[in-house]
Amino acid sequence: MADWDGRGLPPVAAARMARFASGGLRTSLLSVPGAAGVESVGLRPVGEVMGCIVQHIGFAGWSGCGYYGGFGGLAGPGFGNPGAFGGGIPGTVGGGIAGGVAGGSGTTVTSSSGGFSGYRPYVDALYRGYGTAITRMLLEARSMAADGVVDVRLRVNHMDGGNREFVALGTAVRADSTTRPARLFSTELAGQDVAKLLRAGWVPAGIALGISVAIRHDDWATRRQSSWGAGNVEVAGYTELVSHVRADARQRFHRSVAELGADGAIASELSLRIWEIEPSENHRDHVAESTMFGTAVARFHRAADPPTRSLTYLPLRDPSPFRRAR
Amino acid sequence: MTLPNSTDGAAPSIPEDAMRRLAEMKPGQATTLFTSDLSVNEFLLVREAGFRPLGLVLGSSIYHVGFQMGRWSRNQELDTLSQAMYHARELAMTRMEAEAAVLGADGIVGVRLDIEFKEFGTDLAEFIAVGTAVKADEAATAPSDGGWRNNKGQPFTSDLSGQDFWTLVQAGYMPLGMVMGSCVYHIAHQRFWQSIGNIGQNVEIPQFTEALYDARELAMSRMQAEAEALHAEGIVGVQLLSLPHRWGGHTTEFFAIGTAVRPLRPDHIIDKPQLVLPLVDS
Repeated sequence: MADWDGRGLPPVAAARMARFASGGLRTSLLSVPGAAGVESVGLRPVGEVMGCIVQHIGFAGWSGCGYYGGFGGLAGPGFGNPGAFGGGIPGTVGGGIAGGVAGGSGTTVTSSSGGFSGYRPYVDALYRGYGTAITRMLLEARSMAADGVVDVRLRVNHMDGGNREFVALGTAVRADSTTRPARLFSTELAGQDVAKLLRAGWVPAGIALGISVAIRHDDWATRRQSSWGAGNVEVAGYTELVSHVRADARQRFHRSVAELGADGAIASELSLRIWEIEPSENHRDHVAESTMFGTAVARFHRAADPPTRSLTYLPLRDPSPFRRAR
Repeated sequence: MTLPNSTDGAAPSIPEDAMRRLAEMKPGQATTLFTSDLSVNEFLLVREAGFRPLGLVLGSSIYHVGFQMGRWSRNQELDTLSQAMYHARELAMTRMEAEAAVLGADGIVGVRLDIEFKEFGTDLAEFIAVGTAVKADEAATAPSDGGWRNNKGQPFTSDLSGQDFWTLVQAGYMPLGMVMGSCVYHIAHQRFWQSIGNIGQNVEIPQFTEALYDARELAMSRMQAEAEALHAEGIVGVQLLSLPHRWGGHTTEFFAIGTAVRPLRPDHIIDKPQLVLPLVDS
């Protein structure tokens, strides 16, 4: 155990795989409808698979918000173009919503800006955490001769001393086919959803994720706009911060889908966290973290019309307390 | 949703075709890449309704909501707050629509409009609108007069789920836009002698009733005015919400929101639904 070098699978996991290979016992984490769903499209569950990594995140890589002045709270010029922001549509050029909201003199720094900017090492550590957990899970699946993993659950557990455990847990499936995929697919979608997608001519390709952290100095305009007597006013600086961080996370999500070579993605989560830090006296910044998770999908049906046809039916069931089930 | 029957010969080719597609997949190859936060059901139904998702679109505004006191014993609208709630939502919606317009969308479906008050500042809230921009396939029966965009030349917006959107289009209607009305209202406190006089009695408190009527009617009539501006035939999926936010017990936002629609064709005949009795709870 102690002499495992971090490559491949840990010895206990390898031992479990060996036992699986000799015994042939099938295990699964799928619900009954999920298992019935994947079986109906020719995917056979072969076993539950797991990948995890514990990481110590000691250095978040804070290199500041770009504010070094101290003369009346003005950040120096040349930190970008504060007037235009929100160019958040991946894949389009210049899709910003310029004007309208005049930014203050501060500018948002995202973790994609290069160097140690805006918590870059922290974001890299998160990527490594999720990426390694997924890769190790897929390694287990590969050793079971599976073609993919469905119903993947990604979790992060915070441990003492700044350590975090990243876990990926799912059910490996093997397709009833002669062709084997170039690399194993993975998806967060439940078995039922995978079945519906496959029957409609779409196949899940992989888990896509986009993570970004951004930091922005609270300049005088931000402080004025968020003060008690400001009246009805948009706080342009904070809007800029959240727009930038979401745009960056969405762009990275988009890029990870493109890197898989998929046709699109169904996002399962788009979340944002924003908090205040005070690195020195009278110097406040705001930091925002945005994450986006989802499943990249690829289309394999060639016809113009989707192969599914909906049937209108009226279920005679008890009224649901939730009027808008999605 | 019905799916291709497994006896029509297509069944064995499902995993075969799917795995072949995965085998052929090349990292980084150019595809028409979309993103969407629809569920799988919604995604497939939107496709079936003849629309292609183009991308997730989003608009956001962090807004400082001003301050206004209601007179202690008076029913009144707090118009500063009403304006703030309306303006901030409109900012978020407009930015979302602008993103969709850049993508060349015909509309936005599954819009969620949320408000989140922030911990780091009093009276600061983020207003956010998220949805999936869609474009009609050539096959989809476009409205005879003009395209899918509304009379303001904007992509339509709708907070209907993918399922409701599919049903709406099947029934021969198209969404024009989300319409909303907001009214922040201060409900008067009872005067001392009045509350003393009511002790032990079951009586209506007319000023409370009137206040709630006033506030809701204001919110709904503002929503209606927006629908009229879009030349809508009606509004579907209306929600009339009482949102207390952070202003204490007597100040409440009444918020009406729905999707304005107009007919695509004169008749609205849909398939007679089949009745099913599911053997599951609720």
